[in-house]
Amino acid sequence: MLSEHEVAKRLRDAFPEAVVSTKIPVPGIIYITINTSFISSACRYLFEQGARFVTSVATDRIAQSNRVEVSHIFSFDEDRLTVVAKGQASTSNLSIDSISPVIPGANWAERECHDMVGIDFIGHPDPRRLALADDWPEGIYPLRRDFPYNYKPPVAPENAVPLKTPQPPASVLPIGPFYPVLEEPAYFRVFVEGEEITGCDYRGFYNHRGIEKLADSVLTYQQVPFIAERICGICGFIHSSCYCQAIEQASGIEIPPRAGYIRTILLELERTQSHLLWLGIAGHIIGFETVLMQAWRIREPLMWLCELITGNRKTYGMNLIGGVRRDITSEQYPKILEVIGKIEDQVKELINAIVDDTTLHLRLRNVGVLPPQIAREFCSVGPTARGSGIAIDSRVNHPYAAYSQVPPMVISKPEGDAWARTLVRLEETLESVGLIRQALEQMPAGDIMVEVKEIPPWREGISYVEAPRGEAMHYVLTGPDNRPYRWRVRAPSYANLQAIPIMLKGNSIADAPIIIGSIDPCFSCTERLEVFDVKTNKIKVYTRQELREISVKR
Amino acid sequence: MLRSKLKEALICLKNLRVTLPYPAQPAPPAEGFRGRLEVDINKCIGCGACANACPPRLISVIDLDTRRTIEFVLGKCTYCARCAEVCPEEAINMSKEFELATEDKKDLNITVELIMVKCDRCGTAFTTQRIVNKLMAKVPDEIEIEPAALDWLKFCPNCRKLREAQKISEAGT
Repeated sequence: MLSEHEVAKRLRDAFPEAVVSTKIPVPGIIYITINTSFISSACRYLFEQGARFVTSVATDRIAQSNRVEVSHIFSFDEDRLTVVAKGQASTSNLSIDSISPVIPGANWAERECHDMVGIDFIGHPDPRRLALADDWPEGIYPLRRDFPYNYKPPVAPENAVPLKTPQPPASVLPIGPFYPVLEEPAYFRVFVEGEEITGCDYRGFYNHRGIEKLADSVLTYQQVPFIAERICGICGFIHSSCYCQAIEQASGIEIPPRAGYIRTILLELERTQSHLLWLGIAGHIIGFETVLMQAWRIREPLMWLCELITGNRKTYGMNLIGGVRRDITSEQYPKILEVIGKIEDQVKELINAIVDDTTLHLRLRNVGVLPPQIAREFCSVGPTARGSGIAIDSRVNHPYAAYSQVPPMVISKPEGDAWARTLVRLEETLESVGLIRQALEQMPAGDIMVEVKEIPPWREGISYVEAPRGEAMHYVLTGPDNRPYRWRVRAPSYANLQAIPIMLKGNSIADAPIIIGSIDPCFSCTERLEVFDVKTNKIKVYTRQELREISVKR
Repeated sequence: MLRSKLKEALICLKNLRVTLPYPAQPAPPAEGFRGRLEVDINKCIGCGACANACPPRLISVIDLDTRRTIEFVLGKCTYCARCAEVCPEEAINMSKEFELATEDKKDLNITVELIMVKCDRCGTAFTTQRIVNKLMAKVPDEIEIEPAALDWLKFCPNCRKLREAQKISEAGT
């Protein structure tokens, strides 16, 4: 197994001048400060050694040391090791070499770093704006520390992101910006030749709300778990857990074992309901409403169970730094066992009915194939990666909560198509039920919360949680004002969406919705619209202002 | 193919309609459900702990003249119950009520007004009468409070500091 010191040694051997310093605050995580001119070669080296790129974090440290820090986070999954390659750029020259030419999955992360903190990535293959709104002015970076959280810059509509246009004879089929199947905003510009998809451009982030900014300028440590939980309406508990774990790691807080078990049980309840929700939506996307109705019927008692345990069917509000707020009482045990037992029987019955259904096979088999090599390059996670034979799972690779005592079986399928991803989720639902049962049985008695005293500033924490959609990662840098100095959230769809253009290529238009749906994407709102003029072949993109004028005229 | 369709049909037939007849019949939430928050205005002492803890920051504490107003803007409530958890007087309770639709969301607001105590020295209102009463009640009967200590309670934090500083400088000369 690769150790922290071994990684540092190998890097030093390969590039004698690259490593400036190393830091191992907790076992399993090493922060390596890299001589900035070596950042791209060092990251390439890590990637070639088998590390999976997780995300990049840019942190404004101008006030302390006149520089911006860029941390590229890598995970050696089998070795349970996280490696953070840190580069720095001074304010006199805010630029650093891009790693995207080598690691395609770093594309979005670097663009977001540029949008938010204003650092240039030299050699980036696609340095368009990613997360900021189309009318956000150039040169204003919202995650800089001197940017007030409530400042509204003047609109600058001329900054609209230039969208890609296909090579003739392909034409554009816009899906979105309001994506009707999932009733969420996302804009896929699908390039088609006849029925066949030849490419795709994506514009999203329409609903970017700047919660990371809120956390580092307004909220306090113990308020952030509640906004973290609202990152996702389906798997919010994973985000509050992930944030709390990151802070707990940074400040050396040990939560009571019982709290870890309660988090585990709730995380698995969440996975069960989320997978059933997805199954229903997948059925709905391909017009198979029986699957929708039955999957959601089976799911509903789970939501009631969560209401009983936590006080709410979703957004449980259970997590605080230091543990959980409500205990699972012994009177609730039989009820939990009864509900999950029923779910298990009914899911088995449903799987038994649908696995041989040729309607599903025709729509899902060999559709949206993601080859393992591409999944690795784009750093896919969760059922999307596991459906392509990459058996990674943060519950096993970076154990948290009670998962080292209740280890899950990692389910993976080699085919890489939408059907493989479906089967992975279905089997995981049953696996989750088993985990809940096991956790309930083993759960020790005791406290559920430790008292949290002062959280020391300038400590870093990185934590993972395996969400239903894949691995979520939170990074925190603690600050001096009772709130994080930097909080970075990487949700699983962020990684998975980047592989969508590859999955769509070569498929037919009719398969596009289910291919997009098959990664179980989670995006969010829009205010723009594109009109394709068939006579002149010209694309006109209306800005919000223009749209408003048109609607006022009418 | 046919076998699958038959199995699917069987599942549907076995379970039939599961939709609840709500709102024609009430659908009570589970035990422990966190609904609309209620404030017992007789218990509230105006310490503001709830305002510090509230994640959506919907509780404001405003001191005007000799009145402290604590306002709960419930339209922003996320039902996390942090306020109820930190309240030292158990004045806040999460009810089971969830049918909160209203034409004006201000209808949901709760306002608590409390009388404040003025500083004996500078005249600034600095805390609520109820907080002072609570402090007094906490002192066991058998302990006799010196008049100087009682005076101390009636001073605002700033004047307390000034008086201490004065004492020290007097002792020095």
